[in-house]
Amino acid sequence: MKIKFDFINWFLSLFGFRKTISLGIYGAPNVGKTTLANRIALDWTGEEIGKVSEIPHETRWVQKKEKIEIKVKNKKILINLLDMPGIATKIDYRQFLKYGLSKKEAKKRAREATEGVIEAIRWLKNVDTVLAVMDATQDPLTQVNITLLGNLEARKIPVIIVANKIDKKRAKPEAIREAFPNYPVVEVSALKGINMDELYSAIVNHARVRR
Amino acid sequence: MRLKKGLRFDFVSSSVIEEKEKEKRINFILNKVKDGTILVTDCVFTPQDEMDLIRETMRRVDSGFPGIEVASLKKTPKGLQALLETFSDSTTKIKNFFAMLRGKKVKTPTKIGITLIGPARYIKKIKRNPNSFSILAEA
Repeated sequence: MKIKFDFINWFLSLFGFRKTISLGIYGAPNVGKTTLANRIALDWTGEEIGKVSEIPHETRWVQKKEKIEIKVKNKKILINLLDMPGIATKIDYRQFLKYGLSKKEAKKRAREATEGVIEAIRWLKNVDTVLAVMDATQDPLTQVNITLLGNLEARKIPVIIVANKIDKKRAKPEAIREAFPNYPVVEVSALKGINMDELYSAIVNHARVRR
Repeated sequence: MRLKKGLRFDFVSSSVIEEKEKEKRINFILNKVKDGTILVTDCVFTPQDEMDLIRETMRRVDSGFPGIEVASLKKTPKGLQALLETFSDSTTKIKNFFAMLRGKKVKTPTKIGITLIGPARYIKKIKRNPNSFSILAEA
């Protein structure tokens, strides 16, 4: 079945009908999704995709960069990069106050963040392949990570776990591998651009249009 | 688990939750949790159920209810128990039965486990391990 599928894509590509893969970047807030999206977009198009902030839930709407061609050796794929709002089970406006936001701004941000979570969940229907980003300095066994991976598996969406922030001293990417041994894990620092070639290799090899 | 006065735990049988339709099931859970109750059940939710619960929680978040914390343990049954579990869900049992007759592999649903859902304003921390979890809650 896979051979037939690949053959069709290859055949279509001969006539310029190569299918674009929707690559969704998912994960909890503040794990570095937008930093990773920016790194990928910058590496292949020279332009960033969105604003990064230390305040959680900076990305509250899906941010897109379309028709990015990723080439690794003699393989190349065309992707639409989708940077998703962070998925969370709780959003307390009070957490934003400590970053200097007024009560009104914090409440607005919290309301928009809840809408962002709903939008990210809705987009699970549309993505072909997912980069599940996890902060390597944090405990990976969170309900968000477990629920996200369970959903992707149930929907048969290919997933690559990105163990981000490996440049930090406290990073323990091996904890992510131990927690999710059945998934491909690529260790990167999106901020410093460490190990991005390995990630691009994994994307080219794992990403595919959803059947 | 450290408890302080004022925390309420409801231990609810899976049969109470499973007999409800999806929407009513989520309403039942969130009404309790929004009310300040920590719900513990032997009901095992599918990843889709969990995501639906998160989505519905987000719709209900307000300044007094910042959301939920969820922790669960799941076990995939084996042997005869697996066979029984395969046909225990009324919505899939006919499909699974005919699939087995056709010689297709039928995936055993995860039916054994425990789930805790509580208000995020009371549950301060959850420490998960593959086979256990611990909760730090404070009223």
